[in-house]
Amino acid sequence: MKEVWVILAIARNDFSYFFRTKWLMAVLLSLSLSDMLVVALVYKRMMTFDYFSYFVPAVIVMGLFTASMDTGRRIWLALREGVIQYELSLPVSTQGLVIAYLLAGGAAALVYAGSLMAIALIVLPANAIWSALLLLPFLFVLAMGLAGIAATLAAVASTHGEFFFAFQNIVQVVMLVLSTVYYPIDVVQKFLPPPLVAVVAANPLSLAAEALRQYAFVGTPIEPLFLAKILLASIPFTIVGALAYLGALHRLQIKGKL
Amino acid sequence: MSNILRLIWFDLKPELKPPVWIVMEWAVFLIQVGVYGTMISQLVTGIGNYSQFFAVGLVIMITFDMGSHVGRHFVEHAHEGRLPYLLSLPISRSKLFLTITLQGGTELALMLAVPLTVTLLIIGNLTWISVFACVLTLFLLGFGIAGLMLALSFIAFKSSDLYTAIVTGLSTIIIRFSTVLYPFIFLPPQYASVAAFSPLTYGSDLIRFFLGFDPSLLLNPYYAVSVVAALAVSTLGLGTFLVQRLVEGVKSA
Repeated sequence: MKEVWVILAIARNDFSYFFRTKWLMAVLLSLSLSDMLVVALVYKRMMTFDYFSYFVPAVIVMGLFTASMDTGRRIWLALREGVIQYELSLPVSTQGLVIAYLLAGGAAALVYAGSLMAIALIVLPANAIWSALLLLPFLFVLAMGLAGIAATLAAVASTHGEFFFAFQNIVQVVMLVLSTVYYPIDVVQKFLPPPLVAVVAANPLSLAAEALRQYAFVGTPIEPLFLAKILLASIPFTIVGALAYLGALHRLQIKGKL
Repeated sequence: MSNILRLIWFDLKPELKPPVWIVMEWAVFLIQVGVYGTMISQLVTGIGNYSQFFAVGLVIMITFDMGSHVGRHFVEHAHEGRLPYLLSLPISRSKLFLTITLQGGTELALMLAVPLTVTLLIIGNLTWISVFACVLTLFLLGFGIAGLMLALSFIAFKSSDLYTAIVTGLSTIIIRFSTVLYPFIFLPPQYASVAAFSPLTYGSDLIRFFLGFDPSLLLNPYYAVSVVAALAVSTLGLGTFLVQRLVEGVKSA
């Protein structure tokens, strides 16, 4: 029971660090708000279909994704700056430490995406606000999964910052372009081979964006099976990330460095 | 000259061994043009071939990133104590400024090598003059942006955290409120008035003009040439002034 409090204290510390990083907040807010209020609006004028309604829910998912991926940067910083050595000396197991980071990553991303959702609900009328609220726990699990991807990248890159940021950048771009965040699945089907279309359809970002569009903004009744799909697409990433970070911490404990 | 080359290599070496950032930038460009550009151009009906328009936009974004990177690099040097070391070297301030400028230009050339070649191949049917004018405009724009970021670097001498926040936030706004990703005629009036102040609006329209895009989608090229040239000359002048007069003894907080 005592360990739970230590885990929550570490998670709270990491959570507040995310919001205290001024440049990160400037980047995230300027990116998300300009995507929502400028890019979506201008593209709508260049297209025959309502791209604004299509893209605004996706910006929430993009915000969740980018904020979750920052978990990797914080893990990498902790490894490089030696903060992790201090955290390993705390009365908490290595598993507890991993859980703390993933919880903080998920919570920070959810709070950030929640604030974007509040703005989206102002600019784009939603037909089912309750559905939007019901989706939040699932978005939290998704954020933990995405934080898991970031943790894996941080563990693989260890203290080599240039590799970590390069991996992170490429993974972010690949996951976003191979999803239905920017364009509907029928456009994807015309250009990509069937195996890649299956990847796009199963991408957790596609699922989350579609859930927000359909359930929160269009107002279609929530299908429990679809929510289960989001969980199924997210949990494996959380597990892989936790195992990778745990492995890195074990190596650190045995060798004293990465 | 050998001192300048040695200093350029001194700064470039860590970025080229291994060239992670350059390869990453090329890979991201190819993915974005190959997948995102192709898909989104199916939805865009207002422009004939949006993927070409988008590819040029990405090249300008890389130029902008490199320009702002030079400014940030300067601040990092001040923050890490490297600037006082550079100032103590037996070279004149003007040579030091030339070094910073040439290093930025070399990095820009490396970053743009693949993206620009691919973009020119996608567009095709170009003359040597149009390619040369396009490259010249990109470098002028890059130097202009670098000068702008150097000018802002004085915020960093109060707080480097605040500088990074302002520069990164401002960068996104400058790109989005410009014609990098979409033509001026599609911007809503209130956004168009903001975009008219963005140097990227003129830079991107000028490059597209040289590459043979439909002039009805672009701003008047005479205005664009004036703005890009004025930006490069004024900000490079400002940079020379800052390096020669104001950097002595300053330390980034």
